[in-house]
Amino acid sequence: MRLHEYEALDIFEQNRIPVPRRGVAGTMHEALQIAGEIGFPVMLKAQVLVGGRGLAGGIKTASTPEELKDMAEQLLSSDIKGLPVRKILVCEKAAVERELYLGITVDGYSGKPVIVVSTEGGMLIEETARTFPEKIASIHIDPSFGYYPYMARSLLRMLGLKEKLITPWSDVIGQLYNVAKRYEALITEINPLVVLPNGGLLAVDAVLEVDDSALSRVRFSLPDRIDRIENPLERRGREIGVTYVDLDGDIGLISSGAGLGMASMDIIGEKMKPANFLETGGGITADLLYRCMELIMMKPDLRAIFINVYGGINPIHEGAKGVVRYIHEHNVKIPIVAKALGNRQEETWEIFRSAGVHVVTETATEKAIDKLYELVGRG
Amino acid sequence: MSILIDDSTRVIVQGITGRIGSAQTHWMLEYGTRVVGGVTPGKGGTNVEGVPVFDSVLEAVKETGANASVFFVPAAFVLDAFLETIDAGIKLIVVVPEHIPVQDVIKMRSYAIEKGVFALGPTTPGILSPGKGKMGIMPASLFAPGRVGIISRSGTLSYEFAGILSEVNVGQSTVVGMGADPVVLRNLADILELFEHDNDTDAVIVVGEVGGEQEEKAAGFISRRMTKPVAAYIAGRESPQGKRMGHAGAIVRGTAGTVVGKQEELKAAGVEILESPIHVAKWAKKNKLK
Repeated sequence: MRLHEYEALDIFEQNRIPVPRRGVAGTMHEALQIAGEIGFPVMLKAQVLVGGRGLAGGIKTASTPEELKDMAEQLLSSDIKGLPVRKILVCEKAAVERELYLGITVDGYSGKPVIVVSTEGGMLIEETARTFPEKIASIHIDPSFGYYPYMARSLLRMLGLKEKLITPWSDVIGQLYNVAKRYEALITEINPLVVLPNGGLLAVDAVLEVDDSALSRVRFSLPDRIDRIENPLERRGREIGVTYVDLDGDIGLISSGAGLGMASMDIIGEKMKPANFLETGGGITADLLYRCMELIMMKPDLRAIFINVYGGINPIHEGAKGVVRYIHEHNVKIPIVAKALGNRQEETWEIFRSAGVHVVTETATEKAIDKLYELVGRG
Repeated sequence: MSILIDDSTRVIVQGITGRIGSAQTHWMLEYGTRVVGGVTPGKGGTNVEGVPVFDSVLEAVKETGANASVFFVPAAFVLDAFLETIDAGIKLIVVVPEHIPVQDVIKMRSYAIEKGVFALGPTTPGILSPGKGKMGIMPASLFAPGRVGIISRSGTLSYEFAGILSEVNVGQSTVVGMGADPVVLRNLADILELFEHDNDTDAVIVVGEVGGEQEEKAAGFISRRMTKPVAAYIAGRESPQGKRMGHAGAIVRGTAGTVVGKQEELKAAGVEILESPIHVAKWAKKNKLK
């Protein structure tokens, strides 16, 4: 679950990481009031859960109340990469001597947390990583021992930063590690981490993504994950317990695994366009597939449906019953092709066929998509 | 021989009394797997599908001589059960459940490697050696005995590749699901190494997907150490770029984990890239595999 910047800044502050004075505004008047308390100039930052916000025009500086009014109104009525801006963060504009980068993430390959730092904070950090790898330093953390302050000292020297930064630098890295651990973060990041003229550090931005699998044991009082999903179909997918991604095409897809779903999309994409990605996971029941049909059919102008499931952990014959019930109740007319293999496959095929579903019994998904293409072309 | 699972493998099922654990025990036994016991704390003394249930792993090992374990334990209890299993001396563990917190997986991986335990998952369909046995949830009907090894990040795609090969009479030596989580208990290269040394495997198929850097790292291993032919399919060409925030992953890797990036690195290591799953049949024919 990705937190908004303002939520992450609150958590950083509770964990003694220095953050700017700030407030969250949902209207221009609220923004004006917050700015009045902080004093001009202020930064206005669109609160949307997407990367590359700065380059997309979501961050502005207002020097006067008049400027703020225009900018706040403009931001609050805009979209950033398709996401509506509902709130803006109004915060103190710090005096920047230098912009650093600090992030902690999980390195999947070594299976360890890793601290990453750079002397070149800001919007082009990934570009820097490619072109000037010497400006990046990182240290992996042994999970048996955790973080120790020597790591911060080493990172400081690896980057060639001034020794007088050592105290605030060690403090902020230690505290960010505590945040990563306590909130079970997949990633937590401060970019930029600003060096102030007085030699202190200030976290001017905050990224925190909590591991979804750990949400039940992380303690905080924030809105549920579901309220953060803007797309209504994707939100419905979350409600019924499947992964749904809304796409541009007109071929509906239900698959019983992420890899199989991605491969199905790849193959559909050769001649047609998928309308969605839907992955059921290992919990198929008749009711679940009924609800999956309901969900993918919410998309208007669907031309056909492809169901690609394996019966390993999933009772696919139960799933087929749900699909068939939906077809009968809603009198579905568009062609449906199903490839369902594994435990109890013959029984599953019978159920599908009883409702006019085209069953493909070969293993290769390409064969099923060929059939689908033929049916769509004909219809 | 095959890798990881053979005639000497004696399996216990953890979480055997649950709905999925008992159903899968049925399928594993039907496939000829030597399931010698099960563990569910508090349910010792009962039996499932004729298999005795024990309260602890240690007891199960003492009574049955088990040397491998497959997990159908609820995600929240997996870390605890995993540490117990390693301490009881089991050397092969398959963790089927999904949604295990990454911080738990990090601890599990670290302890398993320290203790010399070979563990797979989480979110894996397990291991299957056709005609010998299986640990996990792979549906038996799709597999046939033969000499091709398969390693897959995705469960369902491992079935797809095995099924396509079986249809053209190319069998498999062992099929391994390495797990679909961001951190897995064993890396791709470790499993490739087992196949490289297995006398009953002539070639290996890697089924990868967009994201992470398992395939890129494996490419390095393949170019340095593999003598057997390797083919790879990477799923996710049409998947939309995630609404990514934060950079630390990409910065430390220096790679974005794209399909094309993975294909290029594997190709440079001498791997044949399969643009679509069905092409695996032609590749097997070209290499005269069976």
